[in-house]
Amino acid sequence: MISLILQIGFAALCAWVLFITIDMIWALPREGGVVGAKAIAAAVEKAGGDLRGGTMMGNIVSSPDASAGTLLAACGVYCFGIPGGLLATVLVYIGNRICSDPGYAGTTGCFLATFMVYGGTKIGIPAEFFIIGMVIAILTIQGISHRHASRLLGKIWRLRK
Amino acid sequence: MNILLLIIICIITLIGAVYAGYVRDPYAKLIGIGVIGGGVMPLIIARGYADVAAALAVIIPLSTVFVLQLCRKGEP
Amino acid sequence: MEASEMSEDILMSLLDNLPGPFASPMLQPPAESAELAAILCGMIALYAVIRIIFEPDVMRKLPFLNVFSFSIAGIMALMIPHPLGVIAAAAYFIGSTFESNAIASTWAGGVEP
Repeated sequence: MISLILQIGFAALCAWVLFITIDMIWALPREGGVVGAKAIAAAVEKAGGDLRGGTMMGNIVSSPDASAGTLLAACGVYCFGIPGGLLATVLVYIGNRICSDPGYAGTTGCFLATFMVYGGTKIGIPAEFFIIGMVIAILTIQGISHRHASRLLGKIWRLRK
Repeated sequence: MNILLLIIICIITLIGAVYAGYVRDPYAKLIGIGVIGGGVMPLIIARGYADVAAALAVIIPLSTVFVLQLCRKGEP
Repeated sequence: MEASEMSEDILMSLLDNLPGPFASPMLQPPAESAELAAILCGMIALYAVIRIIFEPDVMRKLPFLNVFSFSIAGIMALMIPHPLGVIAAAAYFIGSTFESNAIASTWAGGVEP
């Protein structure tokens, strides 16, 4: 029971670090990009959050980014191993173009997460714990408190600059 | 698929449907319809119809976009 | 009384003979840890729906809808360990993201041509 909680927690931490790193590298908090992301950023800032963090949350909602890539990579590795993860990468690339997003955050996130999840299965954490871990990670960013999460993302963005 | 997951998904679908029925704001209504669509998908997958689920996953958001063309910009 | 018992037996045997999705030999049912992960995803989805209902601002409902889509895509992929499960989960997730994008940009006044 304790080992289950530790495994899920470790998978959630790995997924959180991976998707935040890839999104910061692709500069998701920098500008609006899509109109919808700007609207969500304005709403988050009105509620007392940080504008850069709100822009990143808006970009996560409006287009498949590294968080979606990590989730679908974990699903792909669970269903079919490494070829499943690469199939998920192709699907995330198509999804990025459908949502008219010119970036490659989702594609690179999915590609790197395939190897992370495969490495996790070699250590002994099954791929389904990476799926639930990624859902828990996105819950902490977008599902608990928008104000505090956007401030945390804004601080990490200022560290990157 | 065990019975507890089935009950949770049915509760989600019912809550989404009741919320979509009672709310006034058109954008919140569309979000409620999205919750209904999301609640129905695992029930289709549970019987093995993965291809039907993939087809519906394209059809339901597309019909929401067509409904959005009825809400003109800026209207409350 | 005998007729009703007989019809109940016929109904029960009919229900037992209906094949479920895992009757074919190509697919094995999900493992124990996958059931646990699916139930946790279901509880997170229920929490996200309750937060959607109690949030007053429309634009701030959209991140909770995104959490809901993540968990439903996770449940869909966990239930079928076959490549079609990934394709269905990816199609649902991309469709839901596209719909959220359309709702947000229509609320904000639409895309300038």
